Amino acid sequence: METGQQARRTTVLPWISTVARLGLAAVWLIAGGLKIGDLAASGRAVNAYQIFPYDVAKVIGAAQPFLEIALGLLLLVGLAVRLSAGISAAFLLIFIAGIVSAWSRGLAIDCGCFSSGGELGAGASPVYGWDIARDAGFLVLAGFLLWRPRTRYSMDGVLMGDEQ
Amino acid sequence: MSKATKDRAAQAKRIVAEQKARERRRVVTLWTSVAVVAVLVIAGLVGWGIFAGQEKDNAGSVTTPPTAVDGGTAFARGEGPVTIDIYEDFMCPICHEFEDAAGPTITQLVDAKKVTVNYHPIAILDRYSTTEYSTRAAGAAAAAAQGGKFYEYHETLFANQPEEGSAGLDNAKLIELGKGVGLTSQTFADAVNNKTYTGWATKVTDTASGSGVTGTPTVLVAGKKLDNPSAQALTAAVEAAAA
Repeated sequence: METGQQARRTTVLPWISTVARLGLAAVWLIAGGLKIGDLAASGRAVNAYQIFPYDVAKVIGAAQPFLEIALGLLLLVGLAVRLSAGISAAFLLIFIAGIVSAWSRGLAIDCGCFSSGGELGAGASPVYGWDIARDAGFLVLAGFLLWRPRTRYSMDGVLMGDEQ
Repeated sequence: MSKATKDRAAQAKRIVAEQKARERRRVVTLWTSVAVVAVLVIAGLVGWGIFAGQEKDNAGSVTTPPTAVDGGTAFARGEGPVTIDIYEDFMCPICHEFEDAAGPTITQLVDAKKVTVNYHPIAILDRYSTTEYSTRAAGAAAAAAQGGKFYEYHETLFANQPEEGSAGLDNAKLIELGKGVGLTSQTFADAVNNKTYTGWATKVTDTASGSGVTGTPTVLVAGKKLDNPSAQALTAAVEAAAA
């Protein structure tokens, strides 16, 4: 016996989740797509955080755009949405931690979130607050999907045979 | 059959169906999770593999200019006791500003035989042009060094710096600028057109990143980085290093 409110929740929530899933997919695809053309620059962006030795930063910088695009595609088709959202959230937390760390050490860098980053020139001031707020916004999308991973038009739904 | 028995049978059926659905969901979740992890691991490895391939290709195409110093990464000017290292990108507007502001001071220090300046032309701003101008310009500067005109060419490149986001200067223009500073040989033109030293420019950029250069201009006096490169800071640091 469902009450009216419950019925609404079961019909509306999957649509909100679907929007969150596709939004997060777009974020990853764009972020990865903007970096994949210049892997050396991506490695330098990681190196600019001065957290890892350069050789490690290069490997992270090379792998990262591919991981972002893969995650974007997985969310786009909706495969293992809860896990994909969990991994997205973990990545976002790592990125936020990196930005906070750069900020607290007084580094003047471009976060390299949607570009190949690097050090800012004199006179250009970093916008860490905005970068963190934006990543936190993406984190909300990932969090919603962790909570409600059932979405419309997803591989999960098709495979489980209980959707739509 | 009584109504109660029918209801019980229907309920039992529903419970079995629900159990089946749960089991199916469990199996699907397990295997899709395995698939997701596999996709991500493979994606990461593909990225690493592609990058390693690019590095290897570039390593094979490096022609180090014979006049380069400091492990083949820089061109020297002057012969003073204090070493100044300048990492610059010809696409970088702040490098241009630094050159305008501190250039005369550097020339004085060089003329007074107080300093040796190592210019490291690196290419970290290829994304600011549609034609990888940073790398091509650094390669052309190396070719100019082979013609004995690195410093003159470096100045003319900054004076003719293209707009960010543009196509940069094409090779014909790079060659024409060379002629303007006396680089009239076919060797120079060929080196620009054949991109003889662009692989070297990529390697110099990599070496610089490895030693902690994360932006341009980066200016080191006697190995110590200047936080805010300016003519005054430079003079002060040189005096401190010479003392």
